[in-house]
Amino acid sequence: MGRYIIKRLLQGIPLLFFISIILFVLMMNMGDPVATMGGRRVTRASDYERLRRQLGLDKPIYTQYLYWLIGNDWTKTDVDGDGVAETPGTRRGVLRGDFGVSLVSRKPVLQVIGERLPNTLILMLASEFVIIVGSLLVGVYSALRQYSALDHIITALSFIGYSMPIFFIALLSMYIFGVLFKRWGLPYLPTVGMFDPQAGKTTAQVLWHMVLPVLSISIISFAAYSRYIRSTMLEVLGQDYIRTARAKGLPRREVVYVHALKNASLPIVTVVGLDLPLLLGGAVVTERIFAWPGMGRLFLDHVSRSDLPVVMGILMMIATAVVVFQILTDIVYAWLDPRIRYEK
Amino acid sequence: MNAKRFVLTFVTAMVIFGFILTACGPKPVPEGPTVEETQAAPVQPGDGGRKVATLIYTQEFDNLAPLYTDMWFAWTTWQMFLHWAWEFDEKNEPFPRLVTEIPSQENGGLSADGRTLTMKLRDDIKWSDGTPVTADDFVFTWEMAVSPNNTVTSTYPYDKIESVTAPDPQTVVVTFAEPFAPWLATLWHGILPAHILRPVYEAEGTIDNAEWIKTPKVGCGPYLLDTWESGSYARFVRNENYWGSRPILDEIFIRFVPDDASQVAALQAGDADLGTFIAYSDIPTLQQAGLNIVTEPSGYNEWMFFLVNDQVGHPALTDVNVRKAIALSIDREAINRDLLLGLTKPPASFWDAMPFYNDPPLQNYPYDPEEAKRLLDAAGWVDSDGDGVRDKDGIPLELDYGTTIREIRQDVQAVVQQQLAQVGIKVNLYSVEADVYFASYGEEGPAATGQYDIQQWSDGPLFPDADLYYWLCSEIPSDEYPAGSNWFYLCDEELDSLIQLQATQVNIKERQQTISKINQLFYDKVYILGLWQDPDIYAVNPRLKNVKFSGVTMFFNIGEWDLAQ
Repeated sequence: MGRYIIKRLLQGIPLLFFISIILFVLMMNMGDPVATMGGRRVTRASDYERLRRQLGLDKPIYTQYLYWLIGNDWTKTDVDGDGVAETPGTRRGVLRGDFGVSLVSRKPVLQVIGERLPNTLILMLASEFVIIVGSLLVGVYSALRQYSALDHIITALSFIGYSMPIFFIALLSMYIFGVLFKRWGLPYLPTVGMFDPQAGKTTAQVLWHMVLPVLSISIISFAAYSRYIRSTMLEVLGQDYIRTARAKGLPRREVVYVHALKNASLPIVTVVGLDLPLLLGGAVVTERIFAWPGMGRLFLDHVSRSDLPVVMGILMMIATAVVVFQILTDIVYAWLDPRIRYEK
Repeated sequence: MNAKRFVLTFVTAMVIFGFILTACGPKPVPEGPTVEETQAAPVQPGDGGRKVATLIYTQEFDNLAPLYTDMWFAWTTWQMFLHWAWEFDEKNEPFPRLVTEIPSQENGGLSADGRTLTMKLRDDIKWSDGTPVTADDFVFTWEMAVSPNNTVTSTYPYDKIESVTAPDPQTVVVTFAEPFAPWLATLWHGILPAHILRPVYEAEGTIDNAEWIKTPKVGCGPYLLDTWESGSYARFVRNENYWGSRPILDEIFIRFVPDDASQVAALQAGDADLGTFIAYSDIPTLQQAGLNIVTEPSGYNEWMFFLVNDQVGHPALTDVNVRKAIALSIDREAINRDLLLGLTKPPASFWDAMPFYNDPPLQNYPYDPEEAKRLLDAAGWVDSDGDGVRDKDGIPLELDYGTTIREIRQDVQAVVQQQLAQVGIKVNLYSVEADVYFASYGEEGPAATGQYDIQQWSDGPLFPDADLYYWLCSEIPSDEYPAGSNWFYLCDEELDSLIQLQATQVNIKERQQTISKINQLFYDKVYILGLWQDPDIYAVNPRLKNVKFSGVTMFFNIGEWDLAQ
C-alpha cells in the first residue's frame, strides 16, 4: 500500500503541472485586472500602462507563467518604464512556496486564502456532516420500509428539496427565521455574518449564525444523497449474501448495518471522495447570501477583479486536494472491500 | 398540488422546523431593537453600555491605504481614520480639517497664476500614536504617489505637481507644473504617516509591502482600524488620542454583505443600522419597516452615450437631428415615474448635481414623437420598404444598444426599444456582466471597442469638481493606444479645446463660463442623453442619530454620530 500511495503521489506531480498550465492560460484570458482599478471610473491611460508594467502584466504569457512558477528573483525588471531592466525581482515562485501577492488587496496569496479557509471548513464540514448522517438515516430507513407512507413522504420531500434553487431556500429561510420571527416576537435566527458585534466572535455565536447557512446547503445535497443511499441499499439488500446472512439467523441490525450498509457504502464513498475537495471551494451562493466569509466568496470577488494570483492559488489548492482525496478514496475502498487490492 | 398550496405547505414546514431550531438554540444575545421597538421607545446601547453602530457595505474595500485603491468604499472609509486636508459637508461645500483655512486667492493661499498653493496646517493635529502631523507627511505622500517604485493605483492628481515643499512644519507649498483647476476636489484625500512609512521606503525601496499599507492601524481621524477580517467585517474603535472633539460612538462595525436581498433582510431585522447602495425597488419595503431613506446627489447620473463616429458607430448617429429625434422619442419622465418610483428626474445637464456649473439651467427635451418623426423625415431617414424600420441609402436605422445586466437598466432598455420602434427606429438590446462590459480595449470589452451604437451607464464629472476628460480626441482607443478612455469615439474640436481649457482655469468664474459652454454644446449636439439622476441612497435606522452625508463621502461628521439612548 505504501508503494502504491507514493506511486500515486508521484503521478500527481505532472498532472498538477499540466493543470496549472491550462488554468493559467484560461485565467489570463479572463479579464484585465488593471481595467477595474479606477474605481467608478475607467483607469487613466498613464496609470494603466504603468500598472501593467509594474505588475508584470505586460510580459508574454509564458514569461508570466514562468515567474509564477519559479519566481523572478534571478532576473531584473523595468519598474520605472525607461526601457532598462534595473530592479531585481522579488518573487520566489510557487515551487518555492510563494504564490505571489493579491493584485487587489496587496496581501500575500497564502495569507488571503488562509484567512478564509477556516471559515469555509467550519461551514462546509458541518454541512457535510449533517448531509451524510441525515441522508444515511433517511436513506436506510427508506430502503428498509420501501413504499411505506413515510418512504413516499420522504421521497416527495427529497424531490422538492432537490428541485429548489439554493438562493430561494436561503432567502426564504432568512426572511422567515430572521425577519418574520423577530417581528412576531419569537426567538429568531440571525440574518447575516458570523457573529453579532455586541457579543463578539464566540463559539456559541458562530454556531448560532451557522444554522441557516448549514440548513440551506444541506437541503439540496441531503435530498440527492438520501436517494442515492436508498437505491444502493435496495440493490444490496436483494443480494444472495444478505439472504444467506438472514438465513443464518444473524440479527437484523447486524445484517443491515454491518453486511448491507458496508457494501452499499462503496459508491457513496466515491461520491463523498469527489465532494470533499470541492468543499474547500466553499458554497458560492450560500456564502454570498449569508455574508459568510468563505472561499466561495473569495473566489467570486477575485475572479471579478481578475486577480490572477489569488484565483490561481485557490484553483491549485483545489486541484491538489482532488488528487489527494482520490488517493484517500482508494485507500478507503480497500478497507471497505477486502477484494480490492492495489499491490500484487 | 398547485403552486399556492405548495408554497403554503413549504412555508408551514419551514416555520415548524424553525420553531424546533430556535427552541433548541442558545438564547439570542441582546440585539438592536426592532423597528417597532425603536419607534415605541428609545433603546439602550448594547452590552456594557458600549455604543456600537453596525453598517453594511455591499462591497468589501480592497485596500484601506490611500494611493493604493480608488474603490468608492475605501475612499469613503478613509475619513473615519484619516482626515482629508479639507472635507466636504452635506451641501458639498468644502471646510478646513487639517488646514487652518482653505487656500484661496483672497487669503493668499493660491497664487495669481494658479500654480502655487500654500497650505497652513493646524498645530494641534497628531497621529494616534502621538506623533504630530506635519508638513513632512504631505511631502512624503506626494513623493510616494509619484515614485516609480510604488504600485499606486493612480498617480493623479499628484503627477500634476512639480514640487511639494515644507518651509516649516506647519506650511506646505505645492507647485503645479501648469495651473490645475481641480486641486480642491482631488488633492490630499488622506495622507501617509511619514514617520512609519519612510523607514520602510528607505529600507525596501517601496512601501508596497509595508504593514501599514495592508492594515493602516495608525491614523489621525476620530476612529481607528482595530480588526479587519477579510470577507466578514471591519471594526473601527474610538481614537482615544484624537485631537478633535471626542467621538461619541465607541465602535463602528462594518459588515460586508454582498447580496442586496440579504442587506434588506438584515436592515429589516435590525441587524444593521445603516445600509448602502439601496436599490430603488427596495425603498418601499425599507420605508415600511421604518427605516429612513436618504438620497444624496453624488454627481452621478445615468446616461445614454451616443457613438458619434462615421468609422465605428452607425452612420445615422453622426447626424445631430437623428440624435435629437431619439431624445424626443423617449418618454424619460414616464421612465422616472414608473420604473424609478418617481424618486428621480431625468437630468438635462452633465452637471445636474452641481447647479453652479449648470447655469443657466438646461431644460430637458420633451417627449414629442411627432416632432421626432418630422426630424427623421427631414434627415432623409424614411421607411422606404414598408418594413416599419426607417432607412437611408439602403442602410436600415437599426441601432445596437448595450448596457450591464443591472435590472433597472434592462427594464429601461425594453421601454426605450418600444418607444423608438414607434418612430421607426429598430433597436437591438444587449446586456452583459459589468466586468465584461467595462473590460478594456485590449480585452475587447464591448464598450471600449465601440460595439454598441448606444451605451448606457452612470457617470458624472470629477465630483465635487467639475472636471471631465472622456471626450478628448486624443483619448480615442486604438490598437496603438488601447488605454484610451474616449469610448464614445467622438472627436469634436470645439469640445476638445473647451475641456482642456477648463482644466487649467483656476479662476472659478472663468471656469464656470467655459463649462457652461460645454454644457450647452452637449445639449445642442445631443452627444449624451440623461435618463435618471443617480444619487447615493442610504437606509438609516432611526436609532442612529446626527447622521449627515455628503455627496462626496459618507463620514465627514462621523465623530458626531450617536445611537439613541
